[in-house]
Amino acid sequence: PASLGRGCLGRWLLATRGWALLGAGARSRSCSCLRWRHQPPLLLAAARRSFGTQAGGLKAAKPGGNSKDVSVQRALNEETLVSAAQKVKEAGRDFTYFIVVLVGIGVTGGLFYVIFKELFSSSSPNKIYGDALEKCRSHPEIIGVFGDSIKGYGEATRRGRRQHVSHIEYVKDGLKHMRLKFYIEGTESGKQGTVHVEVKENLETGRFEVRYIFVDVETYPRRTIVIEDNR
Amino acid sequence: MEEYAREPCPWRIVDDCGGAFTMGAIGGGIFQAIKGFRNSPVGVNHRLRGSLTAVKTRAPQLGGSFAVWGGLFSMIDCSMVRMRGKEDPWNSITSGALTGAILAARNGPVAMVGSAAMGGILLALIEGAGILLTRFASTQFPNGKEPAEDVSQ
Repeated sequence: PASLGRGCLGRWLLATRGWALLGAGARSRSCSCLRWRHQPPLLLAAARRSFGTQAGGLKAAKPGGNSKDVSVQRALNEETLVSAAQKVKEAGRDFTYFIVVLVGIGVTGGLFYVIFKELFSSSSPNKIYGDALEKCRSHPEIIGVFGDSIKGYGEATRRGRRQHVSHIEYVKDGLKHMRLKFYIEGTESGKQGTVHVEVKENLETGRFEVRYIFVDVETYPRRTIVIEDNR
Repeated sequence: MEEYAREPCPWRIVDDCGGAFTMGAIGGGIFQAIKGFRNSPVGVNHRLRGSLTAVKTRAPQLGGSFAVWGGLFSMIDCSMVRMRGKEDPWNSITSGALTGAILAARNGPVAMVGSAAMGGILLALIEGAGILLTRFASTQFPNGKEPAEDVSQ
């Protein structure tokens, strides 16, 4: 390296004198000579830099044969150093996520169960309200008072949706009873009615059967139309 | 009680549309403010300006889509109430499904079915939550037995 360095020095002196005349080829040669002169310290710096990028390339996932080997070795070293604490933290995080997922599934399942019971079970207040409304619609006296198309609704909530039918459940003589109250309105304006329904549970069939249905008409002499009375 | 003396239904559409727009605008405003703040160059002035720009551009869009969803849902709901003559949870679920289907109509029939299922399930969950709440609120006052058999016969 020393002899070559001297030779390069000579060429360097020549290059600086004839810099403009020599042209690109000589310049590259002189540049390469310069580069080679400064190579040993540069080699160390480059090695440090490449070592650094290879270590950082763990996360960047650079493809390339030997860089991958180096990164795998570094990864192994790093894993054995932090594995215990890392594993505990990850296990804790996974456990928290699992609990959150379980709670979410539980809440969703509960809501689905409530809505299915409300809509499909025959002992839900909504079903009884539907059946009573059908009976009201097909009763001639009701049609005579209220008009043809009768609509029913329940209690008004603050948003104006009137889906909730007010009902009370109680147990009498060991049997479950339910009492409902909803309102009907017909095409004739101003005529509103309140329908009171009571059902009793029939132990043999397990369904609710109607005890009475009657309608209070809100006219001045208050009329009561009895649709069904099985007391 | 004057507000409940009239029919809620046609006015409920405007109510729901406006309510949905407010929800979307406020929620979108908060999200876009944070997002715009984070996606801006360093420096409080840059970040505040970026956050304000994001809110001005994106929050009304989100509010608009919410309002379209809410308005369409309420329209279909009121139409079903008028057609069936009965107020039910079924109305809400079907309205949700139809709203989802109509809003996905540009993407073909399969997307419509999927969107309808999502809308229906979402509304079923909301209805279930509403029913739970009313049941809990009503069982707060335990009544036990109802003795008043005031049957005017």
